[in-house]
Amino acid sequence: MPETYEELEEDLMKSTKGSRVFRRLMGDILSQRRDTAILVTAVMITAVAGTLYPLALGDAINGIVDGNVNLLVLFAASFLGLYLLSFFSNRLRTISSTKLAQRSIKNIRDSAFRTLQNVPVSFYGKIKMGYLISRISNDAESLSDFLTFQLPQVVAGVSTVILSISIMIYLDLGLSLYALIIVPVMMAFTFGIQGKVRRNYLRTRKTIAAVTGSMAENIGAIRAIKSFNVEDRTYQKFDRLNRDNFTANMKAAFVSSFYGASITVIESVGIAIVIVAGAMQLISGAITVGLLVAFIIYVQEFFDPVLQLSQLYNSYQSAAVGLVRIYGIIDSELEKNGAGTSLPVTDWNTLEFKDVGFSYGKSRALERVNLRIERGDKIAIVGHTGAGKTTLSNLVLRFYSPGEGKVTVDGRDLTGIEMKSWRRLVAPVLQDPFLFRGSVMENIRFSRPAVTEDEIEHLATQYGMKEIFESLPEGIQTQVGEMGRNLSEGQRQAISVMRAFIRDSPIMVLDEPTSQIDPYSERIIMDALRIYLKDKTLILITHRFSMVSLADRIIVVDMGQIVDSGNFDELMSRKGVFSELYNLQHGSFADS
Amino acid sequence: MQQIEKAGKKNVTRIFSFLKPLVFSFRYISAKKWFFVVLMIAAVISTVARLLVPVYIGSSVSGIESGNLSLAETFALLIIYASIISGVTRFGVNYIAQYLAQTYAYNLTGDLFSHILRKKFSFYESQTSGDLLSRGTMDVRASMNFIVSTMSQLIPTMLLILVSIYFLFSINPAYSLSFILAVPVLIYLGIVFQRKQRSHWRNIRANYGRMNEELQENIVGQRVVRGFTAEDEEIGKFTGTTQEYYSEYMKVARLRGFYNNLMPFVISAAATSVLLYGGYTTLIARGDVGPLVSVINIFTMMSFPVGFMGRLIVFSENARASIDRISVVLDSRDIEDPVAGEGSPTGFELTMNDVTFHREKRLVLDGVNLSVRRGEVLGIGGKTAAGKSTLVNLIPRFYDPDSGSIKIDGTDIRNFPLRELRRKVALVPQEINVLSGSFLDNIAFGNGEVDRDRAKWAADIAQISGFIESLPESYDSMIGERGITLSGGQKQRVGVARAVYEKPEILILDDATASVDPKTELDMLRAIKNDLKDLSILLVTHRESALKFCDRVLMVENGKLVRKETEEADVHEDPAVFREGGVNIAGDV
Ligand SMILES: Nc1ncnc2c1ncn2[C@@H]1O[C@H](COP(=O)(O)OP(=O)(O)OP(=O)(O)O)[C@@H](O)[C@H]1O
Ligand SMILES: Nc1ncnc2c1ncn2[C@@H]1O[C@H](COP(=O)(O)OP(=O)(O)OP(=O)(O)O)[C@@H](O)[C@H]1O
Ligand SMILES: [Mg+2]
Ligand SMILES: [Mg+2]
Repeated sequence: MPETYEELEEDLMKSTKGSRVFRRLMGDILSQRRDTAILVTAVMITAVAGTLYPLALGDAINGIVDGNVNLLVLFAASFLGLYLLSFFSNRLRTISSTKLAQRSIKNIRDSAFRTLQNVPVSFYGKIKMGYLISRISNDAESLSDFLTFQLPQVVAGVSTVILSISIMIYLDLGLSLYALIIVPVMMAFTFGIQGKVRRNYLRTRKTIAAVTGSMAENIGAIRAIKSFNVEDRTYQKFDRLNRDNFTANMKAAFVSSFYGASITVIESVGIAIVIVAGAMQLISGAITVGLLVAFIIYVQEFFDPVLQLSQLYNSYQSAAVGLVRIYGIIDSELEKNGAGTSLPVTDWNTLEFKDVGFSYGKSRALERVNLRIERGDKIAIVGHTGAGKTTLSNLVLRFYSPGEGKVTVDGRDLTGIEMKSWRRLVAPVLQDPFLFRGSVMENIRFSRPAVTEDEIEHLATQYGMKEIFESLPEGIQTQVGEMGRNLSEGQRQAISVMRAFIRDSPIMVLDEPTSQIDPYSERIIMDALRIYLKDKTLILITHRFSMVSLADRIIVVDMGQIVDSGNFDELMSRKGVFSELYNLQHGSFADS
Repeated sequence: MQQIEKAGKKNVTRIFSFLKPLVFSFRYISAKKWFFVVLMIAAVISTVARLLVPVYIGSSVSGIESGNLSLAETFALLIIYASIISGVTRFGVNYIAQYLAQTYAYNLTGDLFSHILRKKFSFYESQTSGDLLSRGTMDVRASMNFIVSTMSQLIPTMLLILVSIYFLFSINPAYSLSFILAVPVLIYLGIVFQRKQRSHWRNIRANYGRMNEELQENIVGQRVVRGFTAEDEEIGKFTGTTQEYYSEYMKVARLRGFYNNLMPFVISAAATSVLLYGGYTTLIARGDVGPLVSVINIFTMMSFPVGFMGRLIVFSENARASIDRISVVLDSRDIEDPVAGEGSPTGFELTMNDVTFHREKRLVLDGVNLSVRRGEVLGIGGKTAAGKSTLVNLIPRFYDPDSGSIKIDGTDIRNFPLRELRRKVALVPQEINVLSGSFLDNIAFGNGEVDRDRAKWAADIAQISGFIESLPESYDSMIGERGITLSGGQKQRVGVARAVYEKPEILILDDATASVDPKTELDMLRAIKNDLKDLSILLVTHRESALKFCDRVLMVENGKLVRKETEEADVHEDPAVFREGGVNIAGDV
């Protein structure tokens, strides 16, 4: 079983054939019927016009030779007309090929993004952000060249090849065989080198993903890098990846340049064979000079697109490798969210953990948890760091599903309930108060876009957060920088709490909502919470024992198990983990 | 007169302005001058050899016509030789072009990254990491693509045009007139084409950056998105961005469709005019049509390079938009120098004198005075957003105060090399950056040897060793990116261990234990105090229990540091409050 996504993908790359992803891509493209039709038509018109100008030119020249001015003007005009025609058809071709290409890229990116929104949360534990970004942005972009420029060439090239081969065979079968003798050689050469080309592109895609990944991670951790003076080492590490990428690209460049050069030589051998064979047949009287000249022209015409096809081949390989990787993401197993198949919930009465056990991969986090929460209950979850409190809330929010036992809502297994409908009943404040770029207002409204700004201003006062928001430079309209870094930690947390308040869901799951907020503000928020929570259910995780007064039942978690529960007095009298922690925070630690 | 000259000059520079990215690239490949020369030579040989093939074909046909088989064979061989030469040199051209382009990309990426590493903290606040990332990856690539195609194609194409022009003139100067007339039209079209695309390429590149930003936000913040069932809204936003990207591309495609095909068409129109004029004069004079046919063929041949030039303009605009974005990073002077200065702080006494600091024009610190003695534990409290983090961030010089001074043992910290200062002052921030890698990598993060025992010692102090050692691979266990596989308190303790590992002289804990339970927190503080002798600690915290641990407590209030008033602290100490609260709620329900 692969541990990380990269390993999984490695397997995928080995097992997937380029042709299969290509077929899938073509399916996507061909489904855009109108533009495909336009493109093919445009390419055909250009090709036909291309074969016609020599004729028009020839006739115009004949006109000159015959001294016929009318003929000259007529054919010169049609000469120009054909160019005009191909101007229009080329223009269509440019536009429709870009449209097909960019539309496909957009579709692929959108589907990948959609997948990301629907994969299980655990997916993100396995993959680096930079890798993901590299796949969705860089790899998709590698299709652009292939689809915009190369693919239309194929359509044009293939038709020319077929046309010239048929004409050659029509003219003289024997000589055609000589001319085509080189084709198997070329095919063998191409197939022989294919594996190498593909492996090389594979490597370049991997190394660029590593560069992107490292850059992303280091930019994210830049503050730590600077405060620990490790710029140099970071740079050296990065440089190694950057250099690997350079080397991989040079290897790929070697093979593809070699391939292109070899095809040129093979072509000339083909022409030489025709010349020699033709000369012998000519001498034996089998063919005429005119035929031979025509033949040589056709052989060249046949090889031109083949040469282009070889360029396409490089581009195709590079695109195919990217495609396998993006399709790999698109095909990631989605979370069973029960949409469409299972019934939604609109209300609830009891939430129950029955013998729940849970592991993150190999590491055990919860063991035989039994817990019953009734509508209107207010429970606090306390315990040492790493005890499994957040994990417990993750199960309530259905970010994860239990490994053993089950979580039920009114007796129904939570996994059998339409996920979103359940999540709508729960408003979370996560331990990490993530904010989006945009205004504070937008961040708050994120949880319920229907509320108006006035209402939010009003509610902020009501929930005791006015003062904190007033400390922002432009109040609630302040722009939040990336990850809210231009705000103080407490301000971020307050926004995240406000966001959950606005949601107005019947269940509140608060994971350390005030860990960075000063006691004074905390008290104001608590007073507000007390009123706010009247008809709601509260699941509160906290190390702040001042917050515990909000709860009427306290659950003590230790090493993944519920070790105690009861109200404040009961727990204090039992002298367990709770009273120990409580006394430390509020009692007489100094002499302990 | 002068103006005209100037305008003329301007136009000349404008014609070649599409080569600007090439000029930019020179600083990254100038060390490879010789490769460039070889490339030029190879390109010339390759083109000439390639042009020889049709000539030989013609000659061999003449040979065959005269029934001379051996002549045909000779030319057949010559064709193969010429192709081999052209193949080999073509290989050289392509490979060297790739080599130069990849060298450019490698050097530019490295340069960009080292610039990113050297920026001041304030720089990162003006940029998002998703967008920075796209500058470091896609923008580099877009500009590199231009270099590949110019290097490998520009010279053969130019050569083709020159040879064609030469033939044109040598056949009949009168015929070349129409070509000369076509040139300004082509240039004009080229310039218009270039100018019209510019804004679109800028938008494309900017949209690409935005796409990266959105991807990143949705990856990092995915639990928030899910928790609030906002998946569909986020998908909507993202598809909006890709839609914009798409439509900008289509705008370029429409321009390209028109101009890029119009340019070869101009050549064809010129050819037609030659055909008409030349045809008519030949017809009247009853002369030889041969030269006319050749001239027309030359014109036809030229439409390819002209089309290629059009394409080059497209690449060039893409590259220019990219280079502009890259230059924002390279040219920003927001740089700090880690080694300037001298000496090393000994960290025995830290003082702040009348320090003020503004953030976005708001006064956050207003005349702060402070002094911390060796071995002292100073608690810093204060309301949310009072400026505590701002204050402590000044000590390792993440930011510099607007006025006032910060001194260690009487020396202004600005005199020390940043590197030395930061070695002695370790700050554990509120938000810990954990990198993917093992616990060992993350704890032994600072410069110096990776010392397992020292890491264990640091982990012991940070109260995280128990957890780490309970894992099957102990210190070599891997942590997910951004510490995704750790609990909140574990991440913070890794942060503390990392700082302790450095054996600093001043340790600043900026609410670094907010997610750690109070017992573990106190155990940690005690261990730090016992094991790191003479260490001065600045402890920013909201927790009473932690403040009690301090020798002295100051509060940040209205931008000043004031002594803590003790009465306020006692509010939570009476267990009755809790009982009361509990009862109240119970009563309400
Ligand atoms: N995504 C994950 N992958 C692997 N292990 C994890 C993951 N998340 C948490 N863990 C582990 O599970 C255990 C319980 O973590 P959890 O986050 O539930 O702790 P917690 O009680 O919330 O602690 P804290 O008070 O520090 O936030 C920890 O040992 C942690 O390392
Ligand atoms: N990078 C920044 N750019 C602009 N303003 C900032 C930045 N960082 C903080 N601020 C603002 O400066 C003020 C003080 O912030 P600071 O982070 O110092 O507060 P704090 O006392 O540490 O609060 P907390 O207890 O919430 O961490 C706040 O109003 C905040 O919005
Ligand atoms: Mg937690
Ligand atoms: Mg702070």
